Amino acid sequence: MQKSGKYYWWFQIGWWGLLTLLVVLINILLGQKINGPFFEQLAVTILAGMFTTHIFRKYIHHARWLLLPVEKALPKFLIGILIVCMGYALIRIGMIYWLGLSSGKRTFGTRLLLINLENGMYVIPWTLIYYFYHFMDKSRKQELDTLKLEALVKELELKTIKSHINPHFIFNALNSIRALIDENPVRARKAITELSNILRSSMQTEKQETVLFEKELNIVKDYLALEHIRFEDRLQVQYDISDDTLSQPIPPMMLQTLVENAIKHGISKQLTGGTVTIVSDIRENYHELVIRNTGRLTGLKNEDGFGLMSTRNRLQLLFGDQANFDIREVNGNTVEAVLHIPLT
Amino acid sequence: MIRAVIIDDERLARNELKKLLLEFPEIEVIAEAANANEGIEKIDSLNPDLIFLDIQMPGKTGFDMLAELEKAPDVIFTTAYDDYALKAFEVNALDYLLKPVEPRRLADALQKLHLEENRDREGISDEEIAINKSLLHETDQVFVKDGERCWFVKLADIRLFESVGNYAKIYFGPHKPLILKSLNALEERLDEKVFFRANRKHIVNLRLIEKIEPYFNGGLLLELKGGEKIEVSRRQTVKFKEMMSL
Repeated sequence: MQKSGKYYWWFQIGWWGLLTLLVVLINILLGQKINGPFFEQLAVTILAGMFTTHIFRKYIHHARWLLLPVEKALPKFLIGILIVCMGYALIRIGMIYWLGLSSGKRTFGTRLLLINLENGMYVIPWTLIYYFYHFMDKSRKQELDTLKLEALVKELELKTIKSHINPHFIFNALNSIRALIDENPVRARKAITELSNILRSSMQTEKQETVLFEKELNIVKDYLALEHIRFEDRLQVQYDISDDTLSQPIPPMMLQTLVENAIKHGISKQLTGGTVTIVSDIRENYHELVIRNTGRLTGLKNEDGFGLMSTRNRLQLLFGDQANFDIREVNGNTVEAVLHIPLT
Repeated sequence: MIRAVIIDDERLARNELKKLLLEFPEIEVIAEAANANEGIEKIDSLNPDLIFLDIQMPGKTGFDMLAELEKAPDVIFTTAYDDYALKAFEVNALDYLLKPVEPRRLADALQKLHLEENRDREGISDEEIAINKSLLHETDQVFVKDGERCWFVKLADIRLFESVGNYAKIYFGPHKPLILKSLNALEERLDEKVFFRANRKHIVNLRLIEKIEPYFNGGLLLELKGGEKIEVSRRQTVKFKEMMSL
């Protein structure tokens, strides 16, 4: 409001100054006399115009017409213009009589009508400029707000997707470790290190957009080692990792989430368990990650749908259309999730 | 002595619980099961007093397993953090332990169990229980699962069984969930002194009848405590009158 107020006075002075020049110019061109009374009349016209439009502006602000949608604002502005012109005309006539500038040839009625028409020529463009300036200003601000909001949503989305570590897993792991303390203390100690690695990385990743694949893979290895304690013979793990891919950047916790899903929806639902295979390789121009697990792709309902959708959204936010993600059932009893990430 | 079965798909989790239970000499762990089907087998053959039951298991969940049992033993659920299960517990106030189990919470859960046991078995000798093993007693509980909600219901609290195709709708409190059991199968197992077959479609709990009125053709109309009106067929009316005049 402060800023637009500054522009407002430039606009007022500019507009009425321009009109003054035009009127003088036209009168010169028409060969009229440019004398004292002419300037007095002109001064009355200009000052009364500035005064009435200024009142009009105050009223527009007060009644918040600028916030209305166009179709509601339009009739209000039309009536407003009529009243302003009329008020403007009455002030002009009053001033002319008071200052004794009246030439007295015309009746009051004709004079009022003519002055009203003239006022219309001043006030209507004034209103149009005033309204469109604010209209543009408003839509520009709205656009800016939308952009800010989108950026905020994107940031929040990335944060929530990243910090996703399954509490069910943590408590199950702690329970297995407690049982292991008597049975196999060496393995129990190692398990505690593995669990702390996972917890630490899940807290750190909230700050980063991507991490090295090698780092992410180490976390996944710790994770699967812990799940192996829990599932014992029911979980077999295979790695087929190409060394070239170790230094590729990938979104943190994405592989982890997919492997977690492979356990949660695949292995843990099989009476006799199964195998999780992780393949990482460089194809033509992208980094391909494949997570394969025993199981079926039947229960793709609410929560799984959300996990998969968030993986897709994350890739879209980070890499646009250059990355993609697909999950499908192969050979009847295997589920395969495939990630393509652009090379750097 | 309370005879208990532990049902959990993780060997280490079972071991851990067994170790904790060593502190409670009144609990004897008589068997373990690694999934729902094994669990059902063990329960049918050993008839334990108590089961410790994990919710998330391969094949069937703990809830699914319970719903398949004719009658449910006392159950203490064990689960790691699990939104879905916790919601079910909160709604139905079932007793549960969170893994890793805190010994004091385990003691509380077992304590509560003793109290209930004393109340239930009052006035019924062990022999009587043994004789009526195949018959469901009023104090027996069944586990009912209807979509996301589940309940343990004492038979004494059920006022009406209604046949709906292959299912039976059971009425207790404000609830009327469906169970996958036919009315005929239920009738065989229910105590006929308490549960009366009023007509082809309904079995009513005689202790929960509010009002009895004469009806067309010499039949009767029973109004139950929950306001349901059940017609007694002409043939069954004779039997009903005989029973009530005793």
